[in-house]
Amino acid sequence: MFDFLVQRAAISVVTLFVISMIVFTGVRMIPGDPARVMAGSEADEAGLEEVRQKYGLGDPIAFQYLRWLGLAVRFDLGESIRTRESVVKIVASKLPITIELAFLSLLVAVGIAIPAGVLAAVRRNTVWDVLTSGASLGGVSIPNFWLGIMLILFFSVRLGWLPASGFVPLWESPLANLQRMLMPAFVLGTALAAVLMRQTRNSMIEVMSADYIRTAYSKGLAGRVVVFRHAIRNSLIPVVTILGLQMGALMSGAVVTEQIFVVPGFGRLIVEAVFTRDYPLVQGVVLITASSYVLINLLVDVSYSLLDPRIRVRGAASDA
Amino acid sequence: MPSTAATADALEPTRALAPAGGLRRAWRQARRRPASAIGAVVVVLFVALALGAPWITSTDPLQTDWKQIRKAPTLAHPFGTDDLGRDNFARVIWGSRISMQAGVFSILLAIAVGVPTGLVAGFYRGGLDQAIMRLTDAWLAFPFLILAIGLVTIMGPSLTNATVAIGLGATPTFIRLTRGLVLAKASEDYVLGARALGAGDLRLMSRHILPNIVSSLLVQATISIPIAVIAEAVLSFLGLGVQPPAPSWGTMLNTAQQFLDTAPWMAWWPGLAIFALTLSFNLAGDGLRDLLDPRDY
Repeated sequence: MFDFLVQRAAISVVTLFVISMIVFTGVRMIPGDPARVMAGSEADEAGLEEVRQKYGLGDPIAFQYLRWLGLAVRFDLGESIRTRESVVKIVASKLPITIELAFLSLLVAVGIAIPAGVLAAVRRNTVWDVLTSGASLGGVSIPNFWLGIMLILFFSVRLGWLPASGFVPLWESPLANLQRMLMPAFVLGTALAAVLMRQTRNSMIEVMSADYIRTAYSKGLAGRVVVFRHAIRNSLIPVVTILGLQMGALMSGAVVTEQIFVVPGFGRLIVEAVFTRDYPLVQGVVLITASSYVLINLLVDVSYSLLDPRIRVRGAASDA
Repeated sequence: MPSTAATADALEPTRALAPAGGLRRAWRQARRRPASAIGAVVVVLFVALALGAPWITSTDPLQTDWKQIRKAPTLAHPFGTDDLGRDNFARVIWGSRISMQAGVFSILLAIAVGVPTGLVAGFYRGGLDQAIMRLTDAWLAFPFLILAIGLVTIMGPSLTNATVAIGLGATPTFIRLTRGLVLAKASEDYVLGARALGAGDLRLMSRHILPNIVSSLLVQATISIPIAVIAEAVLSFLGLGVQPPAPSWGTMLNTAQQFLDTAPWMAWWPGLAIFALTLSFNLAGDGLRDLLDPRDY
């Protein structure tokens, strides 16, 4: 058990290292004087000199990387060119909004996908199966930014039921907040639901053909009891993994969804940063996103290895 | 005694997609999976649309007309006109070129980089494999779109750069898949047999392993292309892909968003086009997967 955790954590650390190198190299590939890139086009000579000093831009590149990494692990990702605020502070102020959006979409996704996936598996090869598979395929294929636009067109422009855009903090007015988050969460959630539904169905079908399910049936348990008590629980393990892996897709989706519904979160931040050539901010956002993806998946792996002992045995035995 | 190569080949499973009797078999498969067949037909139609754009519509997709601003669909303009009086029908048709180009070329790039890398990693194992896989892990940790946005930031927005960025974003998937498949195949009897008969590494990889994993790679490609098509539309929608006035479905939707209350048709058609293209690619891909790998449900 301990070995498994150590091994898994070590791989994550290596991955984080490589991520930091990719991000560092990426910013250096932007044409122009690196000091100018990090300080912005309006910086004066003193500002440039400050950046050169801070990041040791005269040193060999390996030293520069180590120095930058040293600052990064202490949560110093530099300052935004535009607002002169610390990048970490800006991200921290935007993150709760995106986390709320992600959480709500997760609720939507799980609420749609798991019942539908289980239904499709239990009623395999019936109309239900065809309907859910079709819906899932449609959900994967529909561009979610277009779905968002269509929802605005229908619910805001035509019916006037929901505000098309804008944001109200949760603590100011929970109702107004939810009203504005409903459509973005639905758009983001359906994309995720489509993937989850398919996974739930496949995993459920596999579990339903297992020996212990046959045993449960043959000892006379009702179908409902077998499905709810025995099958669903066991079939959800791979679904949780997929959920972890889908965090990246959720992040990507948030970028577009926040753009359409003008939600001032993490995703809108990165697009704004790109357009204003705020390179330190872009760098910080990309680094934080990739690192959190690695950490979330480490947590997912560790948490269910605690739940399912087979995984840690297999995990430690096979090579990574 | 047959030649060594023939002996080794005889041990291999029959290759999928044999051309003999292809048409009749295709018809039989199509009847069994009508949805996939329709998907495949629509994909072909989109290819024809992209290639034949100049012959399908004689209207210039860039021609502005100040007397025809944001007009609802009519016979002359079946999809209406946009905010500069351009014909939306022509723009949607020409837009298929950009989407197809971005979708197909980016995945070709991902295959060109990913498959050889995965092949080498899976075949030689050891330190090189470990290095490649750690790099792949790290690369995969960047959410697809955020990676593409980062790359476009460095390279600057354009169709070519968006295509390259999407391709590089999809590359690790192909490295991983190829490596996994190679690991499974490299210990098969026919590969060991060919090796025992003196086949070199290059011959083993190109003649014995690659042909046997091609079908899985093909399936992955059909899954990846619609994702790439959507990614291009998203980048263009955000203003990081194709630049105006070029008719990309993504940029058209970006403009349409400003006129939802007065000209909703501007938002319908480009979105429907993306939806139709990705849906048919996915349907065709599903059919292909069933065809090539019947074990998978």
